[in-house]
Amino acid sequence: MTTTIAEFFEGDLAPLVRRMADRPRGEGGDTDDDRRETRAMVWEGLAGLGALDGTDAVSLAELLGSVLYQGPLLDTLTARELFPDADLGQAPVALAVGSYDDQDGTISARCDFVGFAAEVDHFAVVGGARSALVQAGHPSITTRRHEETGRGELYRVDFADTPVTTWAGPVAWEGARVRQAAYLVGLTQAALDHAVDYAKTRRQFGRAIGANQALSFRLAEMSMHVDAARLLVHDPDASGHAAATLAAAADLARTVTTRTMQIHGAAGMRSDDDAQLYYRRAAAESVRLGTPSQLRQPQE
Amino acid sequence: MTPVFTPEQEGFRQEVCALLCEDAVRAEIAQSRRMPYGQESGLLDVHRRLGKLGWLAINWPERYGGSGATIVEKAIVTEEMIRHGVPENVHSLGVDIVGNAINLMGTDEQKDRYLPGLARGETTANVLFSEPDVGSDLGSLATRAEPDGDGYRLTGRKIYNMKAQHSDFALCAARTSTGPVNYAGITLFLVPLGSMGTVVEPVWNLSEERFDLITLDGIRIGREDVLGEVDDGWQVLNRVLPFERTGLDHSAKAERTLAALREHAPPGCEERLARLETRVRAARLLAWRCIANLHEGKPDEIHSATAKWYTSETAKEVSVAAVELLGSRALLDARDPDAIADGVFDAAFREAPGLTLAQGSSEIMLYFVATSKLGLPS
Ligand SMILES: Cc1cc2nc3c(=O)[nH]c(=O)nc-3n(C[C@H](O)[C@H](O)[C@H](O)COP(=O)(O)OP(=O)(O)OC[C@H]3O[C@@H](n4cnc5c(N)ncnc54)[C@H](O)[C@@H]3O)c2cc1C
Repeated sequence: MTTTIAEFFEGDLAPLVRRMADRPRGEGGDTDDDRRETRAMVWEGLAGLGALDGTDAVSLAELLGSVLYQGPLLDTLTARELFPDADLGQAPVALAVGSYDDQDGTISARCDFVGFAAEVDHFAVVGGARSALVQAGHPSITTRRHEETGRGELYRVDFADTPVTTWAGPVAWEGARVRQAAYLVGLTQAALDHAVDYAKTRRQFGRAIGANQALSFRLAEMSMHVDAARLLVHDPDASGHAAATLAAAADLARTVTTRTMQIHGAAGMRSDDDAQLYYRRAAAESVRLGTPSQLRQPQE
Repeated sequence: MTPVFTPEQEGFRQEVCALLCEDAVRAEIAQSRRMPYGQESGLLDVHRRLGKLGWLAINWPERYGGSGATIVEKAIVTEEMIRHGVPENVHSLGVDIVGNAINLMGTDEQKDRYLPGLARGETTANVLFSEPDVGSDLGSLATRAEPDGDGYRLTGRKIYNMKAQHSDFALCAARTSTGPVNYAGITLFLVPLGSMGTVVEPVWNLSEERFDLITLDGIRIGREDVLGEVDDGWQVLNRVLPFERTGLDHSAKAERTLAALREHAPPGCEERLARLETRVRAARLLAWRCIANLHEGKPDEIHSATAKWYTSETAKEVSVAAVELLGSRALLDARDPDAIADGVFDAAFREAPGLTLAQGSSEIMLYFVATSKLGLPS
């Protein structure tokens, strides 16, 4: 399945996917509508190719990171684990994390940094002793998009006595954490590849900048760290160490994307260069399920 | 070496702080950091206020709009402006780099013509060195200046410069002759912007301030617009560089971000904050060591490289650590109504990569220290 999905992302689609949720800032380019269309098309494609089955989800997550996919798929996989009996069809679901009040079949909560809130069919409100599935689009729900570094589709969502369609226990975060770690490994590898390509082609002082050991050794070191992180996420025992693995992948993603920026020089800061995209996406994705120090606290 | 300030200097710092803390000034600064996407501020009222007092370029002679003070007072102004969040590129390019070069190396006519406007905060200037194929290796620049009567015509492309849209003129490096040593034969020119023969195109980037690509299409420059000697621009650059590479701008930025981080960090970050705090203190000491060297008329290239590397790497580390320690909250932009610390973390994070590149990249500083200080083979 992952191979077919990898083929789906190749070719002309790749650059569109990398910016499928990146809102331009003064520079023009594709409109929000174009990007939303790309996201809808990618969702159909992924669902059609079996991405919602939940098999081989770690490899899938790594692939999604490597193409810089941005959309509700990873949240949806977690929601499907959490509500195995709900009839979700192929509908996208967003995880909304926050503290909440629930009474008589309704829920009230304020949740920040909810992904793709404007285009999912359901929210899974999680973070407390039990989890609630609610239908998106209910008038009791209000959303506001955050203005943030990632320039992505992150929202504040307020639920005010929103009817709950299904209840479940608390989220078991292990699966989501391992998939997020795998996503970050994919993203990190892609950023590193981008840096290696540039180090081979950019010339200063009469030779490729990558001919300098200051850069080539740093690149080699990063590639070894990515190698190690990849083994951690694919280890059969990964879910036993999910939080620590995610923290490590998050730290590595920030380090590698920061160094990718350095290797690219001023050119990497350009809006039309992917180096800055990896850097900003890594910032947003690396703290999405908690900061590394929260993840490294002893887990209950 | 702790900077020791005289009571007068301490008093002056307090006066500068008082001005920068006035409500109207704070409101203007906050506003300038919350411009609609795609726009950015140029010179502000606060620059003109400081200019009127003779503080903006306080170390320049009075006849050019300064107060005849020393580099120490200038550094106090710069440090406080950055600590208080005044967007600094427009000032550092105009006064600290271009104006300073004219003050040190310009003719009396050039000083009369350019310095008073810069010192009053009414005009500014930008720097046209980098080219699409020329970054770290400035010696290989390709922009040509060809003799034309008693002047020159400039042809080439300059990129990754900033603030062209707000600048009245530029300091431009171009090749006047070729020879075996590539940095010989470079000349610096004072070039009017916005005139025939220059085309400015925005190059959007991740920070709050755009880059520009400037095409010089045969613009004519008079002989009187050469700064320093023909073919000897490298001399001017070397003379000006220690003023540019004190690291004070970066250490002040690191302080500002760290102060906000300390305020917003959740419990459990104490050890990390303590480490960052020591780094930031050391960064400031390295920067002030360079200021002290300049004050004594003894610029030290190794001290400059050390300060540039250490302060910029520190500022970058603090910015990235803020995201790590605060999580998603740190990512909110100043334009988000719920942004913490007026969005300083997001802005710092997007600015951070440039700090270790501009004014000499970290690797170039490392190379210099490895070879010149440690004597390792090159
Ligand atoms: C925020 C910002 C503002 C700027 N403002 C201006 C401006 O006003 N005017 C202007 O003219 N320019 C400006 N620049 C451009 C700046 O001068 C260049 O970024 C700088 O000279 C480095 O060049 P480069 O970015 O092309 O990187 P490159 O020189 O292409 O280098 C790419 C990477 O390779 C490394 N590298 C290069 N050579 C070696 C080596 N021998 N050994 C090891 N590593 C090496 C570099 O350190 C860097 O990490 C600005 C840049 C930035 C980021």
